[in-house]
Amino acid sequence: MSAPRALFILIAVVAAIALPYVGGPFWTGLVTQMYIFGLLALSVDLLLGQAGLFSLTHASFFAVSAYTVAILQVRYGVPTVLAAPAGILAGSLLGLVFGLSLRTRGVYFILITIAFGYVIWGVAVRWSSFTGGDNGVTNVPFPSVGGFEIASHTQYYYLVLAVIVLCGLGYRVLIRSPFGLGLRGIKGSETRMKSLGYRTDMHLYAAFVLSAAIASLAGVLYVYYNRFVNPVASSFPISVEAALMAIVGGTGTIVGPFIGAGVVLGLRNWVSSFFEMHHAIMGAVFIATVLWAPDGLVGLAGRLRSRFSKKK
Amino acid sequence: MIEKAIEAKDLAKVFGGLAAVDGVSLEVAAGERRVLIGPNGAGKTTLFHCITGTLHPTRGSVSLFGRDVTREPEHRRTALGMGRTFQITNVFADLTLVENLALAIVGTDRRKWVLHRKVENYPDVRSQALEGLEAVGLADRAFVPVRLVSYGERRQLELALALNTRPKVLFLDEPCAGLSPSERLRIARMIAALPRDITVVMIEHDMDVALGLADRVTVLHQGKVILEGAPEAVRANAEVRDVYFGHG
Repeated sequence: MSAPRALFILIAVVAAIALPYVGGPFWTGLVTQMYIFGLLALSVDLLLGQAGLFSLTHASFFAVSAYTVAILQVRYGVPTVLAAPAGILAGSLLGLVFGLSLRTRGVYFILITIAFGYVIWGVAVRWSSFTGGDNGVTNVPFPSVGGFEIASHTQYYYLVLAVIVLCGLGYRVLIRSPFGLGLRGIKGSETRMKSLGYRTDMHLYAAFVLSAAIASLAGVLYVYYNRFVNPVASSFPISVEAALMAIVGGTGTIVGPFIGAGVVLGLRNWVSSFFEMHHAIMGAVFIATVLWAPDGLVGLAGRLRSRFSKKK
Repeated sequence: MIEKAIEAKDLAKVFGGLAAVDGVSLEVAAGERRVLIGPNGAGKTTLFHCITGTLHPTRGSVSLFGRDVTREPEHRRTALGMGRTFQITNVFADLTLVENLALAIVGTDRRKWVLHRKVENYPDVRSQALEGLEAVGLADRAFVPVRLVSYGERRQLELALALNTRPKVLFLDEPCAGLSPSERLRIARMIAALPRDITVVMIEHDMDVALGLADRVTVLHQGKVILEGAPEAVRANAEVRDVYFGHG
C-alpha cells in the first residue's frame, strides 16, 4: 500500500471514530444516514458498476426488509436477533422473485424493475391493515442483541459504522473473486461469456439476489435508525436516489456510493434550508455529473490527480 | 472407424424468409483441420453459430463426439469441449489481458461460482493465464487493459481465450480478419502448431492461409454445401472458381 493511501485511510478511520464527539448530534445523524444510504447505493452498484444492469427497484428490498423488522418488533415483540435476519431474508426472497426481470436486458430490464417497484409501493400504501398505510409502522425500538442494548444515536452510529466496514471488506473480496470477475465479464460481453462456458443468466440472477440481500441489510439499519417506516421508503424516488448516489460518487468502486450518498444527503440538507426547490438542484448535480464526470467524483479525483502529476 | 468430432445433420437457420443456412450436413473427423470457404453471405458464420449454440437452428441436429448436443445451451457445449472465436473481436476491453484469460480458465470449472476468495489467490489460474498469453506472444502485455492494446494483439487474445477453455473442437471464425500479412502469418503459424488432439474447424477468406492449413475444405454457397474435398481438388474445381472468384 502506498504512503498517501495509508494516510488517507488512517485519516478516514480517525474521523469516523471521532465524529460523534466532534460533530454533535446533527452530523452524527447525517453521517449515519450517509452510511445507510451508501450501503443501499453499493447494493445498486453491484449490479450497475459490476454487471452493467441498471435496477430501479432497490427501494423495494430496502422497504420490505424495513417493514418486516418493524412489524415483527412492534406488533409481535420479536427480538432484534430474529427480526433483523428475518428482514434480510424477506428482502432477499423478494429478490428471488424480482430477479425474473433478468429475462430482459437493457431498457426493458429498467422498465420492468420500475414496474416491480411500484407493486411494492402500492402494497405499502394500500394494504393499510398490515402496513399501516401512509402512517406506516411507528415506535420501532433501538436494536438490542442479547444483553447488549443500543441506547443512543451515538451508540447506533458505531454499530452502523462497524457493519459498513465489514460489508465494505466483504464486498472488496466479492468483486475480486472469480464470481465478481465474471460479472465484469458479462458487463463487457455477455455473448463471449456464454462461449467461455458461463451460464450468464444464472450468474446475473445470483448477483441480483445478493444485491437484494445487501439492500435489505441497509433496510434493517434504516428502520432502527429512523424508528419508523412508511411507504416513502419503498417509493420510486428512493430507488432513483440510490442509483444517483452510486453514479455521483463513482460506479464500479466501493467508496464511490458512500461518497455519493454523502454528497446527495449533505446537499439536500443544506440547500433545503434556504431554497424550496432543492429537488431542482439535485437534478442539476446529476446532469453535471453525467456531462463532466461520468465516472463520478472518485473518477474525477483520479483524473485530476493524474493530470496534476503529469504537469510536474 | 474414424471418430467423428462433429456431426451436423441437415442444419437450417431461417431468418424471416431467408434461409441463411439451408440443409447443411457436415462431418469432421477427430483431429482434422477443416476449412469452410465461401463468398460473403454464404452462411458460414450462421452455420458456426448453430453448431456452437449461439443460435438455435430452425431444424437439424448437432453431435459432438457422438453425443447429441442440439438442445444443449451454448455454455454447456463449451463445457463439453467446443471452443470458439468470433469474426468481430469479442474480448473484454475494460479488463487486463491476464483477467481475460482468467475468465476463460475458470469458465469451464466450478470455481467461477466462488465469491469468497480473490482470483489473484489462485496461483494455478494466474500461472496458466500467463502461459496462455505466452503461447500467443502476449506475455509482455499481461497486465495492460485490453483497450490499450492493438487490433492485432486483440486477435491473438481472441484465439487465446478460445484455447483456454480446454476445447476438444475449436471453431475459428476468420481468425486473420483485418490483419496485416505478417500478422496473418503469425496467427496461421499458431493454428498450424496446435496439437492434433484438438480438432479445428475454421472459416477463412484468405485462400493461401486456408488451403495451407486444411486437411479438407468445405465450400458453402447460398446456405448450401456445394463441394467438399481435399484442398488441391477444391482449388482446381471450376464451380468453386465461379462462385468464389467470379467468372473470368
